[in-house]
Amino acid sequence: MLTNFGRDAKRKQFQFSAVIVLLFIIIVIRFFYLQIYKKAQYLKASENNRIREIVLEPTRGLIFDRNGKILVDNHPSYSVNIIPFEIDKTDTVITLVSKILQMEPEEIWETINKKKTGYFTPVKLKRQIDFETLSKIEENRMYLPGISYQIEPRRNYPSDIRASHLLGYLGEITREDLANNAFKGLRTGDIVGKKGLERVYDKTLRGVKGYRYVEVDALGREVKKLTDKKEVPPQPGKNLHLTIDVNLQKSLEISMENMRGGAIVVDCANGEVLAMVSKPDYDPELFSKLITQEKWAGLLNDPEKPLYDRLVQSLYPPGSTYKLVVAAAALEERKIRTWDTTFCSGSYLFGKETFQCWKQEGHGRIDLLGAIEQSCNVFFYKLGRKIGLDNWITYSKNLLFGIPTGIDLVDEKEGLVPDRKYLEKRYGKKWLPKGLIVNLSIGQGDLLVTPLQMVRLAMIIANEGKYPKLHLVRYIDDPIIKKNQWTKIDTSRVIDISHKTFSIIKRGMYRVVNGEHGTAKAAYCRNVKVAGKTGTAENPHGDSHSWFIGFAPFDKPEIAVCVLVENGGSGGKTAAPIAGKIIKYFNIEKSNYAQH
Amino acid sequence: MLNIEKFELTVADYVYIFTIFILVFIGLSAIYSASYQVESSYLKANFSRQVVWFLMGTFFLVITVVLPTRVLFAVSYWLYGLSILLLILTLVLNSNVSVSRWITIGGVQFQPSEIMKISTVLALARYLSFKKRNLNNIKELSIAFGLILFPFLLISQQPDLGTAFVFLAVIFPVLYWAGLPTFYLLVIIMPFVVLIASFNYYAFSAVMIFTAAMLLFFRSGLLVFLSVMIFNIIIGIFTPFLWSHLRGYQKHRILTFLGVEIDPHGLSYQIIQSKVAIGSGGFFGKGILNGTQTQLRFLPAQHTDFVFSVIGEELGFIGSVFVLGLFLFLLLRGIYICSIVKNKFLSLLVIGAIVVLGFHTIINIGMTVGIMPVTGLPLPFMSYGGTFLITSMILVGFVIHASIRRFRY
Repeated sequence: MLTNFGRDAKRKQFQFSAVIVLLFIIIVIRFFYLQIYKKAQYLKASENNRIREIVLEPTRGLIFDRNGKILVDNHPSYSVNIIPFEIDKTDTVITLVSKILQMEPEEIWETINKKKTGYFTPVKLKRQIDFETLSKIEENRMYLPGISYQIEPRRNYPSDIRASHLLGYLGEITREDLANNAFKGLRTGDIVGKKGLERVYDKTLRGVKGYRYVEVDALGREVKKLTDKKEVPPQPGKNLHLTIDVNLQKSLEISMENMRGGAIVVDCANGEVLAMVSKPDYDPELFSKLITQEKWAGLLNDPEKPLYDRLVQSLYPPGSTYKLVVAAAALEERKIRTWDTTFCSGSYLFGKETFQCWKQEGHGRIDLLGAIEQSCNVFFYKLGRKIGLDNWITYSKNLLFGIPTGIDLVDEKEGLVPDRKYLEKRYGKKWLPKGLIVNLSIGQGDLLVTPLQMVRLAMIIANEGKYPKLHLVRYIDDPIIKKNQWTKIDTSRVIDISHKTFSIIKRGMYRVVNGEHGTAKAAYCRNVKVAGKTGTAENPHGDSHSWFIGFAPFDKPEIAVCVLVENGGSGGKTAAPIAGKIIKYFNIEKSNYAQH
Repeated sequence: MLNIEKFELTVADYVYIFTIFILVFIGLSAIYSASYQVESSYLKANFSRQVVWFLMGTFFLVITVVLPTRVLFAVSYWLYGLSILLLILTLVLNSNVSVSRWITIGGVQFQPSEIMKISTVLALARYLSFKKRNLNNIKELSIAFGLILFPFLLISQQPDLGTAFVFLAVIFPVLYWAGLPTFYLLVIIMPFVVLIASFNYYAFSAVMIFTAAMLLFFRSGLLVFLSVMIFNIIIGIFTPFLWSHLRGYQKHRILTFLGVEIDPHGLSYQIIQSKVAIGSGGFFGKGILNGTQTQLRFLPAQHTDFVFSVIGEELGFIGSVFVLGLFLFLLLRGIYICSIVKNKFLSLLVIGAIVVLGFHTIINIGMTVGIMPVTGLPLPFMSYGGTFLITSMILVGFVIHASIRRFRY
């Protein structure tokens, strides 16, 4: 075989060379593909390898009361981050970190897997670690590639008020929020407002993240600061200046101590909320520190429902306070004149049913103002029948029941005005119970309202029809451009109710507090004329809810109040004194008010 | 006393030697760049160690060139036997270690598998250059195969599958060069093709049909036809079964090649980072010592197996093609020498050396650009590592040795 070695040597040389050249051509094509065709992609990949983006968290805006007292500010705390990429290479880091942070390794893995958005994007492992943990991490830095900590301010509440529902709290962003456009640019693990003003004004308070770029090596260690990629400084959040007066709020919180219910004081002229309290409440610090699972579950499952803002989220029958709406309807529809009287025997027989007055022996002969003063049920049973269901519905709606106030808080309920459509659905089309209107005229039955709607009613009456939108923020100050953005006062007017009607009702309300037989004498103040209306709303679940709505001073109303105490019994006994106290306090406090 | 032979060094031979030195220098600068920003003083000394090895390699190259051909011829079997002994010794001495590639004799640590490459090439050349050698004789063909089978089996036990495959790859081109008919070559190669194709039913069928067609084309007898077909079918059936007996990382390496980029942090992490390094180099490269992938050590084996990615990143397309050009010149001239050398032993020796070098070059560079599996084969002249650098210098020494004696019989 080797005999013809020399003869086909040339042929074989060509074959061998051809194979090698072919393979080299393939390799060169591959180089061309990688280095020229795909260069941009790989350059980007190499930049991503080397450049780590460090988020510079903006400081969250502060919250002040109307007189510039700080309600919410920030305290530094530290959170620990981990870069998933580093962990995939070694298990020892996890073991060490789990010891330092006192977390189970499984827990750490779970956190990483749940929150991971990229191999090089840090995942927040634990928030608000204590100083001891921090120094342990610093000590072991050599053995903890991929672990870093970051200053992350937590909310702090230096004032002695709670205002929990109103201020709200912060928490880690949910997946739903991440998909929401309002939270664009945020990542898993970021902290956002969950409830209250923190939620509504989250974007304002949050500020804008900044970025710093550093060069890291394969172990994730910072090699140097980058000069070719500029640092983007964070923009601090804007500060909220509330309408709340911290002293009034404190006083109201003390008055409502150990009660279940809500109370609110608003400025009639512009709709500013001066104080609002929902009880029971919770300590806002609870959420700014790391809340434990048990504490959170405890708050959630508490039968007293402390997380619930009763002013905004709860619905109640308004009881006798609603007689004011019926009176307004009757006066507008000319179904009654002030000098018309009716006889109250203590009960009212209608069809086969007997409706009781709260005073068993009856009020005797009584006129409209007297009936408001003494909250005579029989008088309003009859008046309700006179105006009829349709007028009742119309005026309820004219006075904005069934419509939320639009206050800057979350989850506001709209209440329920049982109109024809609703009633027909509930009781059938053919036959509506005749007694329906009798109950509705004293604010019982299917009617449901929020305390916010009741304070709006008080404000409407005090202003004789005008009502500014309720709000909690006076102005937002922007620390960057140093400019204040004032909340526009958005005033509207109710339709179809005259000044004359309102002034008659106001006189009735004056007598409720100041009259000889008034039901709310407990709200009487020596230095300021108070007007109001009590309510004792029966409810199937227990003792009646105690209501008081009112305004002061009578001649030139400045504030409107609403107090509701769940199962508090009679409105005159429980709610009225709280209202009286706060109005008294306001009268002293008002000299301090910042005017604008 | 040695009979001093007369050398005829042409310009081409000087260019050849110069090419090798350029490759080594580029390799040295890549190693320098890769170890430039490392804290470890041991790694920092990579560069100087490689320089020392290069000097030793040059010495061995000169020895290889000046030794008379008959000395090479005479020592080839002895060297082969010695290398086999060393391989066995390596296995025995390291029997308690999971991976045993190194051996230390007289304070010198080296890889016997590298020396095996030289001695196998020598032994094969000597065996096949025998005047009356008849490769149609099944016994003589089997002995030729045996020469590579021993090292293959011993090295795959280390285990170093990548290096073991070098020996398999050498035998076919050398046999073909020695005059093995195409038909036999195909019959011998077919089982290996079947091996790879057996994991896919369609590929397996296609290969079997091709085999049948080939057998018919060469008008083989019925007995040969049947035995070849049955043998291949048996291989096709048993390969998937044997697959399960491979070591985990061996499987992983092959799988990584087949399903690239399934896990960015296992083996394919290296491939991805290598591709990122090379791709980001672009046309002109990032400049020496400026490659971020290299300097920030995103590539674990950047001074050894993945040294070409440093060149790709820092010298760009231009630099890569330049280096490829140097390798191409080295290989093509080697093949040319084979075809003109009058002495059969030298011709076979050089083709063996060229195949070993070419196989390493193509597999290694192909690996760094992600078109070949990660086998752990280093790049001749450039990868960090003393034994292989010296081995490469000796192999290329054979080429020069033959070149300057091309007209002798």
